Amino acid sequence: MKRLFVLATAVWLASSSVHAEFPERNIENIYPWGPGATMSASQIIADAMGQELGVNVSVVSTPGAAGTKAFLTALDKPADGYTIIDGYVAPLVLQPMLGKADWTYNDFTPLWAATSNSFAIAVRKDDDRFADFRALIAHAKDNPGKLRYSPGVTDALPHMVAAKVMQTSDVVAQVVPYPEIDNAVKDLRGGILDFVVINPGVYTTNKDELRVLAVLSDLEDASKTYGGAPLVGSFDVDLGMTGLAPMGWNWWLIHKDTPADVAAKLQDSMGKAVARDEVKQKLLDMGYVPLGYGPDKYKEVVAPVAADLKSGIDAIAWEKDKLKSTK
Amino acid sequence: MLDLLYAGASLSFNLHALTLTTLGILGGLIIGVLPGLGPLMGIVLLLPLAFHLPPIPAMGMLIAIYIGGSAGGSISAILLRVPGTPLAAATLFDGFPMAQKGRAQDAVGLAMTSSAVGGLVGGLVLVFLSPLLAKFALRFAPPEYFAMAVLGVLTIALVSEGSALKGLLAGGLGLFLSMIGTDEFTNAYRFTLDSFRLSSGPHLVAVVVGLFALSEVFFQIQTGNLLARPNVQRLKVTFSALKILARHKVNLFRSSMIGTFFGAIPGAGGDVSAFISYATAKKLARAEEKYGEGAEGGVVATEAANNACCGGALIPTLSLGIPGDASTAVLMGALILLGFFPGPDLFRDHPDVAGGIFIAYLMGNAILLLLGTLLAPVFGSVLIVRKAWLLPAVLLLSTLGTYALQSSVFDLWVMLAFGLIGYIMRRAGYPLAPLIIGMILGSTMESNLRRSLLLSQDGLMIFVERPISALILLIDLVLLVAIVYSTVRSSRPSGAGKEVAALP
Repeated sequence: MKRLFVLATAVWLASSSVHAEFPERNIENIYPWGPGATMSASQIIADAMGQELGVNVSVVSTPGAAGTKAFLTALDKPADGYTIIDGYVAPLVLQPMLGKADWTYNDFTPLWAATSNSFAIAVRKDDDRFADFRALIAHAKDNPGKLRYSPGVTDALPHMVAAKVMQTSDVVAQVVPYPEIDNAVKDLRGGILDFVVINPGVYTTNKDELRVLAVLSDLEDASKTYGGAPLVGSFDVDLGMTGLAPMGWNWWLIHKDTPADVAAKLQDSMGKAVARDEVKQKLLDMGYVPLGYGPDKYKEVVAPVAADLKSGIDAIAWEKDKLKSTK
Repeated sequence: MLDLLYAGASLSFNLHALTLTTLGILGGLIIGVLPGLGPLMGIVLLLPLAFHLPPIPAMGMLIAIYIGGSAGGSISAILLRVPGTPLAAATLFDGFPMAQKGRAQDAVGLAMTSSAVGGLVGGLVLVFLSPLLAKFALRFAPPEYFAMAVLGVLTIALVSEGSALKGLLAGGLGLFLSMIGTDEFTNAYRFTLDSFRLSSGPHLVAVVVGLFALSEVFFQIQTGNLLARPNVQRLKVTFSALKILARHKVNLFRSSMIGTFFGAIPGAGGDVSAFISYATAKKLARAEEKYGEGAEGGVVATEAANNACCGGALIPTLSLGIPGDASTAVLMGALILLGFFPGPDLFRDHPDVAGGIFIAYLMGNAILLLLGTLLAPVFGSVLIVRKAWLLPAVLLLSTLGTYALQSSVFDLWVMLAFGLIGYIMRRAGYPLAPLIIGMILGSTMESNLRRSLLLSQDGLMIFVERPISALILLIDLVLLVAIVYSTVRSSRPSGAGKEVAALP
């Protein structure tokens, strides 16, 4: 009798798993940073994707360990498609290069690329020491290590790009880490910081108080997200990184062992979600540019970025040495 | 500012907005009552629904969850000695003894009315003093945060009077716990035992639920009488809590202002405003009020502060676009998704939305006053249940709530471990609250000390060159001298017999 019951249960479970159509329950997107404007960009895509799939896709903020905690948390869950990794470039590519994570971008199944955003150097609107980016560099040159700036957290993309710009210009400023860039902006406005490295979301909420001196990208479109501010290249500064390399971007990923049919369904629904006009417009309004790359473009796009980031990592090491020498 | 309220009135005073705000308060209260789940979780859960609503009813509903969730945590703290949220950990100091003395309904009613009135005071400050307080918040930089965190840590000695040494030891353990995780300056891992699960340290909520809820379950099991029918005051809807509240109006106002102030300074640790407000009320109270043994003033001080803190936290969120805490960061995200960017633009370009949010906040607190009073007997009736039923229910809800934080089994182990630690600490007469204060303030204190020194071009002088930082440090110093003086005095043989029971 007992054996019969076990057999019946096994048959029932097997048949239900065959007939069950993915997704049967809500899906989680594990987002690697704290809540804020950038999380809202992921929420827009999650919401549209949820409508395509007929279930709720929630964005779960799991900050920690420069974004790698979110990856490890997601990888620790079953490869059943119910957990999506919000694959930001820092934990996906940069942290493994720094020896802080043991995966490569090849260890995941890609869905679609989500958004990209450039970074920019901004000062207080009324700070008359810096008429433009050249004035900031000249001031930093005359006062090595005296200016104080924050890229938010250290060893992440904004820090790397800012360090690269300073290395190229042969100037150095004291970096001050803040876990949330919002608080760094508050201290910039309060006068205790001299400049910050921001993303478009921060610019949009603070544009009355901030003045963008240089957009750290070589793409003309990036300037538009900062109210037409000049690109760093227009000051004859070679960023040494092109395209997506100096930008923040995220590619939604799933566990490599996820069944192919489940992966295909997720890829299809995300593709439809990011192709929606209203989704694109909402993202653009917030300063985030939809990338529109499908899963087939993943390796083609990510591989060169990984190669380019090496020079940024070297710039952070250069900044540390240079700061020590100014003390 | 009145023109803002006028502009927002038409968007706020309609059946749709009113219904959603009421449902938000009710949902918030329930989520707050459940151990582990707090206002943040409530807001995150209902975020997807909010996107499909018009902006003001949507924000009204989310803000109502924020308010209800912040108040709801006190109910389980009072009735079961289980704070539903870390915010309510200070409420059990006097709320639980009140309930044990048969005044459960009074205590819950008082907590609800204090929360609502505290919230309304915070709301009025939000409406009329936002620009002023936002400007003041900008003058708070790392040196000021460090000095404030020291002030918070010093309150440990105040809330654990009579066993200051044990309190400080528990606080020291809390400070140590705050160091576990990734160092935000070097990205190095500290005390993580090579486990990524500890890369942001043990989750505060798992620690709070373990320390208070689980240790209480263990204690109750040890006490026995699991089948005895509890003796509970007669439960009926009354407005007596409002009369009691009127007797504590000075405390109510002071605590509301403390809560609003801590809320308005982003990242100042709004969670501890209730502790600081409690410590202040206790120090200023008459001896016969017997704080720690069921004093009404203790419930008023903590609940008024932690709900006023919500109004305070909305000030930098709306005026500066800088969220006051994690819950307001999600609220800010919701506002952005609804198409409105917080900051000066919001007030200039969308006065109706800004005004509508103000009204929603005030309306939420008014509804809390009404609902809290009506529902106090319902919540109080939980105590009629025999322990044999109640304790497994508490265990189940604690487990569910803690697991829901990050869908993590590891958090359950943390909860269990701190349940045992809490039990041992209580058996040995160590107060639990200082551990929480230390854990919350430890990282604020450390990171702002280090950040200040990076910012300073003059070493430690940055702390005294800035007037606000210098003033707070002076207060710290005076407080420290007073604590040491009173501790030395009470440790003399003549004072040895005056030992006061340690707080929970």
